[in-house]
Amino acid sequence: MSFLINNREPVYLQVVRYFKEQIATGKLTGGQEIPSRRELASLLKINPNTAQKAYKEMEEHGLIYTERNFPSRITTDENVLSSVREELIQEAVDAFILAVKPIQVPVDELVDIVKKNYLAEKE
Amino acid sequence: MLQIKNVTKKFGRKRVLDGVSFTANKGEITCLIGINGVGKTTIMKAILGLTPINGGEILIDGEKLTKSTYEKLTFIPDALAMLPNFTIMQAMDFMADFYDSWNQDRADDLLRFFKLNEEDRISTLSKGNTAKVNLLLGLSQDTDYVLMDEPFSGIDIFSREQIANVFTSHLIEDRGVIVTTHEINDIEHLIDKVVVLNNGSVYKEFNAEDMRINEGKSVVDVLREVYIP
Repeated sequence: MSFLINNREPVYLQVVRYFKEQIATGKLTGGQEIPSRRELASLLKINPNTAQKAYKEMEEHGLIYTERNFPSRITTDENVLSSVREELIQEAVDAFILAVKPIQVPVDELVDIVKKNYLAEKE
Repeated sequence: MLQIKNVTKKFGRKRVLDGVSFTANKGEITCLIGINGVGKTTIMKAILGLTPINGGEILIDGEKLTKSTYEKLTFIPDALAMLPNFTIMQAMDFMADFYDSWNQDRADDLLRFFKLNEEDRISTLSKGNTAKVNLLLGLSQDTDYVLMDEPFSGIDIFSREQIANVFTSHLIEDRGVIVTTHEINDIEHLIDKVVVLNNGSVYKEFNAEDMRINEGKSVVDVLREVYIP
């Protein structure tokens, strides 16, 4: 399990992003059962109250749902699930644009480099 | 909740604690950090009634320290106090005889968690394993609050990791933990609250996650501001 903690960023948001990545890459699917807050704390080695906060956040955003006395599950709402992937892509692209903008590369050149390096990375 | 209210403690003419106030909640891990190394152990001893205080008061779930509130507390000292020729099993039996709150199921759970062998003699254990036995003997008492004095000091990184894992596990359950440590980077993402002591009083008391949310600072960042103003 690859979960590295950045000590300056709210840990609960890092947990939410971790779940979103798992959803976007299909490692977690709609309706799938997720660990209890205590299990998640053990698994990711984080404070149990932080795990609780992450679950609350995801519940409020409709990413997970809990029926009384049952383990929480990933939402089955296809709209939410597909928007997670879009959101992650958008976030990453925004961060990339912000970083690359000061260098003032023409967009065609940039796209070519991205294409080439991205494919090389994938192999 | 443990409430430390305006506590003063003098050794001779020296004020070691000078109006210390903070709270530690059940279900939370509170980390006590002392800038100049003074006061942390004294506060723990004061909470346990092992050292008299000169002013202020300490309340355990709203009540002063009595026999029944004392039974809500477990103190885990910085070094194991147990006969060295005992095996771990004999040490557990000794504790079971001594404490009504002893929970053998949890002790067995901790043995497995730390991968300790109960036949091993305490005198033959590594420093890391000795620290784990120390923690096992303390955490196996069913009490609401656990006070740990420097559980990470002087042991190897992997033992520290294993001990840190206890904090996120079911073995702590919903107890209140107060821990003192110098090795804050080992546990800064595991703790709820930080209480920073400086010159005998509380310099800062904050929730670690709130600090990250509101100021984008790690616990170490905050401490750095105190050490290097």
